[in-house]
Amino acid sequence: MSPVRPRPAVERDSTPWWDALARHELVCARCAECGRWRWPPRALCGACGSLEWAFAPVSGAGTVASFVVNRHGFGGAFPLPSTVVLVRLAEQDDLLLPGGWSGAPDGAGLTIGLAVRVGFEDVPGDADADPYTLLSWRPA
Amino acid sequence: MNAAALRDRVAVVGVGRTPYSRDSGVSTQTLALRAVRAALDDAGLAHTDLDGVACHRVGDSVQAAIVAQSLGIRDLRYHLDLFGGGSQSHWVVGSAALAVATGVAECVVCWRAVNARSEFRMGGTGRAAPDTLEFQYQAPYWFATPPQQLAMYGRTYLDRHGVTAEDLGRVAIAQRAFAIDNERAVMRTPLTMDDYLASRPIVDPLRLYDCCLETDAAVAVVLTTTERARDLARPPVLIAGAACGGGTTLFSNGRGDLTVSAAADMAPRLFGQAGLTPADVDVAELYDAFTPLVLMQLEDYGFTDRGGAAAFVASGATARGGSLPVNTHGGHLSEGYVHGLNHVAEAVDQLRGDAGARQVPGARVALSTGQPGYVAGTTSALLLRSDR
Repeated sequence: MSPVRPRPAVERDSTPWWDALARHELVCARCAECGRWRWPPRALCGACGSLEWAFAPVSGAGTVASFVVNRHGFGGAFPLPSTVVLVRLAEQDDLLLPGGWSGAPDGAGLTIGLAVRVGFEDVPGDADADPYTLLSWRPA
Repeated sequence: MNAAALRDRVAVVGVGRTPYSRDSGVSTQTLALRAVRAALDDAGLAHTDLDGVACHRVGDSVQAAIVAQSLGIRDLRYHLDLFGGGSQSHWVVGSAALAVATGVAECVVCWRAVNARSEFRMGGTGRAAPDTLEFQYQAPYWFATPPQQLAMYGRTYLDRHGVTAEDLGRVAIAQRAFAIDNERAVMRTPLTMDDYLASRPIVDPLRLYDCCLETDAAVAVVLTTTERARDLARPPVLIAGAACGGGTTLFSNGRGDLTVSAAADMAPRLFGQAGLTPADVDVAELYDAFTPLVLMQLEDYGFTDRGGAAAFVASGATARGGSLPVNTHGGHLSEGYVHGLNHVAEAVDQLRGDAGARQVPGARVALSTGQPGYVAGTTSALLLRSDR
């Protein structure tokens, strides 16, 4: 039996973000007043208080802020080991996104600070579910 | 209200616990009321003395309102049903203390009741995903459970300060040594460094014995005014300070340096409110869902310099007979996981001299903390002192 992964629980705020990912575009929320980035998308800028914002493309460059290697299944049907990275985007020091890792499943070669570049993994749909796309980071 | 207005005006007057187990066989409603009743009995109070209720939960336990109804409270003067996990745990008590100090309520019971092993395991098994917007960005990568999240942040701290597996092992071993003298503790067999290092990997860099237990249990504490407390059955334990802090999110969080928790910002405010310093603390019950959190909090609460916690633990300072015994009940790692409330209960035991073989001699001031501000980003803590 192939592993079943939890699907993204998309909601109103995040629909454009997941739609962009399906087009292999990485976007983040950006304040229209002060230009500060934030993610996940929230309605107000915590820096300047503005309600004006839009999704905007980011460069897709970043560094590994941290990573974990799953050795235990936690009750789910996931392949082991599997690696999850937390990437610090080049745009802003506190703009952090988790994602998959395209390299070795056991995280071999990963270090904090490693330069990475965004990649995408298309997860096919089936009779019951639409396809969707996930982040799959790779060495820069 | 000035920052010190809460100081010593409210007391913990009763503590109650159910047995800790892997399968309680009863509902969280039953667990909660059993712990509440035990806390009332300890205080020498009746359920009819209560006029307020407070708990925290993450969609995994009985509503506070149902407990209030069951207690027969007809004019509920204070009611808190806080969404949150360990980070919020101490703010349940802190917030209830504000209600008592201001006269909004006179006698409030605070509890956490959970079947965390047999019914609702943290991170999803046995229930729907937690009601947090961020979950959608994590779960598809199999990054959803607390050990995974804490491993992510913990690694940054370990990497920055060169903390080793043995350093983490010493935290687990010290706490197990306390648990051996705690008849309530789920884990009471001695733990050696070989045992620790040989324990199976869960999510790198965490091994099995870096992780807390999953426990079915409830713990409750009863608060009232210090004035009234002095007429009750047990020695009052005064709330010297109570604080919550943090507020950042998991991702774009205003905290680019992940090696320092929200507790670092909150701690000076907490100590200032209580008129105390870290040097005044005789015993610390530090939220220990995972071993790295203990080291980080020793630094974030000012007990050691930045990067100095591993050496502090290795010196024996946090063990029995040390200058700052930590998690004297065995903590979440070895006593059981009651989401922070068992830390409050142990701090009260220590300050009343009720801790038996694990008693810290002459303990007068205790720090008890919630999860220091990862995942949800918030944190909370209490400074307690004896009235002796």
